[in-house]
Amino acid sequence: MHASNSQKAAPGSSVEALARRKGSLAWFWFLLPSAFLAIVFFFLPVLITLVISLTNMTTATGLSGWTWLGTGNYRKILANPDTVKYLWATTRYVVFTLLFNVVMGLVISLITTHMPQRSGLLFRAIWLLPRITPPVVYILMWKIIAANLPYGILNQLIVKPLGLATMNWIPEAAFLFVVLVNGLVGASFGMIIFTSAIESIPKDIMISSLVDGASVLQRIRYIILPQLRWPLLFVTTYQTLSLLTSYEYILILTDGNFNTEVWALWAFHQALSNYWGNFQYGMGAALAAILVVIGVGMAVVYLRYFRFGELVQEPKIDQL
Amino acid sequence: MKRVSFFAFTVLFLLVVAMAFPAGQKEKAAGLPKEVTFAVWSGNAGEIDRFRVENAVEAAKVVQSALKAKGIEIAITVKPVSDPAGWADYKRKFSLAAEDGQAPYIVVSGHEDVAPWAQAGYIVPLADSVKAVQGLHPEFADVIDSLWNCTMWHGKVWAVPQDTEARPMFFSKTKLKALGWSDAQVAALPDKIKNGEFTLEDMIATCKQAVEKAVVQPGYGYWHRPLKGGDFVQYYFSYGGRIYDPATDKLVIVQKALEQWYSFQRRCVTSGITPEKYIGTAWNVWHDSVANDKVLFWNAGTWMWNDWAKNYAKGGEEQLWKNIGYALQPSGIKGKPGGTLSHPLVYMVTSEKASGDKVKDLIAKMTTKELNTRHALESTHLAILKSQQNYQPYAQSKFLSSVTYMLNNNYYQPNHAQYGPWFDAVFNGMVAAEQGEKSPADAVKEVVTKLKLDLGDALIVE
Repeated sequence: MHASNSQKAAPGSSVEALARRKGSLAWFWFLLPSAFLAIVFFFLPVLITLVISLTNMTTATGLSGWTWLGTGNYRKILANPDTVKYLWATTRYVVFTLLFNVVMGLVISLITTHMPQRSGLLFRAIWLLPRITPPVVYILMWKIIAANLPYGILNQLIVKPLGLATMNWIPEAAFLFVVLVNGLVGASFGMIIFTSAIESIPKDIMISSLVDGASVLQRIRYIILPQLRWPLLFVTTYQTLSLLTSYEYILILTDGNFNTEVWALWAFHQALSNYWGNFQYGMGAALAAILVVIGVGMAVVYLRYFRFGELVQEPKIDQL
Repeated sequence: MKRVSFFAFTVLFLLVVAMAFPAGQKEKAAGLPKEVTFAVWSGNAGEIDRFRVENAVEAAKVVQSALKAKGIEIAITVKPVSDPAGWADYKRKFSLAAEDGQAPYIVVSGHEDVAPWAQAGYIVPLADSVKAVQGLHPEFADVIDSLWNCTMWHGKVWAVPQDTEARPMFFSKTKLKALGWSDAQVAALPDKIKNGEFTLEDMIATCKQAVEKAVVQPGYGYWHRPLKGGDFVQYYFSYGGRIYDPATDKLVIVQKALEQWYSFQRRCVTSGITPEKYIGTAWNVWHDSVANDKVLFWNAGTWMWNDWAKNYAKGGEEQLWKNIGYALQPSGIKGKPGGTLSHPLVYMVTSEKASGDKVKDLIAKMTTKELNTRHALESTHLAILKSQQNYQPYAQSKFLSSVTYMLNNNYYQPNHAQYGPWFDAVFNGMVAAEQGEKSPADAVKEVVTKLKLDLGDALIVE
């Protein structure tokens, strides 16, 4: 093939061949920066974490005086009476926060795309505020909202006027607050993606469906939601994995008290936070390694069973 | 194609080259004779704790002039760092800095860090025995003898005491009188606690009465610490528990004492004198309530007195004297004397290279009655020197001189590298029992299982 091509008009063919070669290596150069980041900031740390998890590294051994334990840390985790408790807390946290994130994201994007554009923009901007507020400031606000008298806003403005018993609401409803705090941040992710998906639906289809007699709700059900299938699955996958490993808001809000200690927070507490200064690096690494395995496992499940391969082929927005 | 690849290669090369340089320069060993720079760190420090490190600045001047008198010209500069970060964060900073060779030459921390940090090689021993360290400087010989126990690990002295405190049971005199107690009864309470006549049971009963008679709001009878801390082991000791066996250098768990302690915490909740979901209350809310006479009994530390006087009590220290009394921690067993936990902070040295003797000189000059009393008065910590107790400014402090007796009935946490995991397991069990998640008996079983897992051979179960 090459030979016959090069026997044609010589400059054209060498340019053609060059273009082919250029095209075939472009993907490599485009991928290189992110591949480099992924290797340096994910694969290498995962490898190092796995290695540390096989040792007895703690503050007391220092980073150089440790010995190999083999599967010792993993056996300790299996035998620990708290393991099931933390696993259950993590599952509840991920499931309920995910539900909140996805449902609220959908609801906000549907409502804000059905109002005048400026108002829609304004509300979406407001919903972005929790995400862009520094976590410490954000949680401080929640703590002040939930605090007992004379500090708490909830108690001052709602509970006391209604004549109900006032209290510090975070210990009483810790799990609810954890879900709300994370959900208010997470909902904006789905909101942005769903909104752009809805706005990419061709305007003539949107208008003609109303002209044809469909109500707004029917249009949502039969035209908008089917278009959102792929964004919905993407948001669900992404946020499941993101929630599995997130703990910073819980750390600042309750520090794992009141049954809110999730697996990632447990790993952090073991490895990097000890009142008496004896950090258990090896044990924390083992906990983190298990989380990585769970995360990768779930990613594989999502990719296979929700046919993610199809998502990255052709944009589905054009098809109805 | 060539342009693209050339550009990409250049970028990659620059990245790799940039990564080859370590972030920041490491501190050079103070081998030069002309100048020495010491960094001194302390953590969990508010404004009132600043003298822990600022005393080093004064001490440096003294050491410098003493050397000059001997004909040695040397400029000693101290970089004091008073870190407000909590203990966990501060100790993490120090551990990571130590691993990177960037540790300060002198670090102030709890005595319990001697064991893990010595084992890790982060700190260096100062002397081979108490006698040896006392012989190094007259200031060290002046330190109260029993305090050296907190600086020992595997037979050597690894630190110099910086301060100490006691953790009394505070009570509201005004509320006790509102309950019907006479002035004499209120005045006699500290002695009764000391002799084991007034126990934790009596305290629960008194608080219950106060709630029933509306002298305090429900849940405001007895307030312990709202967050993790060593204070809690006082109630384990109150029921006859012990943490450490010096003969075998192992940690101990006494199941009966543990269960009785957990029951006590749970009974405080079920009697309505302590809120159930209490752990996690913010410190400022806690201080505000106890300093302003809203609670009947609460356990706290002597160092909080000045903090309350300056930052929380609306009427300043006068209000505190009017309303508040204090005593040892009541025992759980009738006839067993009350006691209290002391948690001395200590100066530790991180590097032999740090000009060896000059560091010990500096610490010695920080351990004088003048400088230590300055810190003691500002932050209401207790005397560590024998000469301090009769030193006028200290003796004149009404509060400090009236609590110093507690040091005769005190105990310490052990210097054992695995104490951290011991405490975590025991504390988490207490929280579970107090909040009703588990019965005290079940909580104890789980704690013992966890301790055996975490500590293995380093544990004795009684």
